[in-house]
Amino acid sequence: MKYDTIKIPKEKLLPEAGIVKAPAPNSEQDDMITGSWRVLRPVIDSEECTMCYMCWITCPDGCIQIGEDEMKVNLKYCKGCGLCSAVCPVDAIARVPELDFEGGVVFQEELF
Amino acid sequence: MESKKFFTGLGAAAMAVKMADVDVISSFPIRPYTGVMMILSQMVANGELDAEFVHAEGEHAQLSIVHGASAAGARTFTGSSGVGVTFAMETYSPISGGRCPVQMLIADRTLDPPGDFGSEHTDALLCRDQGWIMGWAETPQEVFDNTLMFYRIGEDPRVRLPQFNCHDGYFVSHIPGEVEIADQSQVDEFLPPYSPVHPVDPEYPVGHGPQIFSDQGPVLEAMRANAMMGAVPVIEEVVEDFGRIFGRKYPPFVEEYMTDDADFVFFISGAHAHTARYAIKHLRAKGLKVGLVRIRFIRPWPTAAIEESLSKFKAVGVIETNSSFGIVRQGGILTPEVCASLYDAPKRPMIASFMAGLGGETISLDEFYFIADRLKKMVDSEKSEKPVYWMGIEE
Repeated sequence: MKYDTIKIPKEKLLPEAGIVKAPAPNSEQDDMITGSWRVLRPVIDSEECTMCYMCWITCPDGCIQIGEDEMKVNLKYCKGCGLCSAVCPVDAIARVPELDFEGGVVFQEELF
Repeated sequence: MESKKFFTGLGAAAMAVKMADVDVISSFPIRPYTGVMMILSQMVANGELDAEFVHAEGEHAQLSIVHGASAAGARTFTGSSGVGVTFAMETYSPISGGRCPVQMLIADRTLDPPGDFGSEHTDALLCRDQGWIMGWAETPQEVFDNTLMFYRIGEDPRVRLPQFNCHDGYFVSHIPGEVEIADQSQVDEFLPPYSPVHPVDPEYPVGHGPQIFSDQGPVLEAMRANAMMGAVPVIEEVVEDFGRIFGRKYPPFVEEYMTDDADFVFFISGAHAHTARYAIKHLRAKGLKVGLVRIRFIRPWPTAAIEESLSKFKAVGVIETNSSFGIVRQGGILTPEVCASLYDAPKRPMIASFMAGLGGETISLDEFYFIADRLKKMVDSEKSEKPVYWMGIEE
């Protein structure tokens, strides 16, 4: 029996080992929206917030954004891990159940 | 000018690593492999070898160090034995998936229990599905030669995969044998410097091991499978080129010994082939038509070469120096691969497994005579008595 390599269509081929040019562009993608995984939503109290950026540097998904005069959360991708809340030195980030919001678990298109 | 000297398997490996001019070495002690690091650290300390020698805090870290170094463009060397090999298990797939041609020496050691230090191939064979080139050397000479050949195969742009350069602990790693140490100019001709696709370059930074999209998974796995399957012709080419430059001619995958008119053969990987040859000489003197088939590469598994070789015989005794409890046919790890290789053959031999050398015991001449006796009975009666024999236990 003859054994051959797999024919992979040219347009599907990737760079060897999937290597990408760095740094990755600062962009959003629509293939995997992880905000629907969230059970507890981080809510920042801007009155308490001192803009120390601890949450910004800690967020593993780059979901905390620096605004003009307040910190913001990108809820499209925030998985609700709560690290931002845990590191906040002034306890300005609360974790609120997603279902307490109007249209909670907003990115879950249908129940399983 | 080639000179012959006595080297242990580990000494021979260290010489080859030095002549291959590796850039980064990472170590963590566990016997028996650790002897190679003892020699290499001396070479680095004496200024004979210009390499970074990094002592890790464990095997997982050891492999992660060479992973990073290889991704950065270095030629790397590491190694382990027994439970050290299994401790680093998580790192093997990322290294082959990252297409980093790391070389890891494995001098086999029995896993725990029974807490034996002897050679059993199970430690390395457990890693056979991780996308690494894998093969066993029989003698210190072959360890020297394989070390150079594996680098060239693994670094070939058509392959670019890491390699497990295996040999039996103690039987090969610690028993000296005559080794022809090549001239540096021969090594330089055979093994060009490693040229990575993406060496560290501030002008062109890249990210390794990125998060991928779901439709990219199958493609990346198929590409890794192709690299492994594509290694078959590369191995044939490299082994031939090695023979041209160094004058030592190896068969690429399957070595046959006294098989021309053989009715039955021992099928074996690794050091015990040495004893098998002696047994065959004695048995031949008694008129038994017995031969030896030794496999040099377990990954990629040379299906076609095995089919071509083994379909010539009436019976094959697969000698398993490894254990896999509850595996199909209840023997070791090699038997299913041998059986499957022969599935499409028009003529198939009878196959029996012989569990031998377990716990790192030697396989004695008497045990080879026992195996030959059982195989001869199979050939004479034209039927197989049972699928598996446990050596040292069967009467």
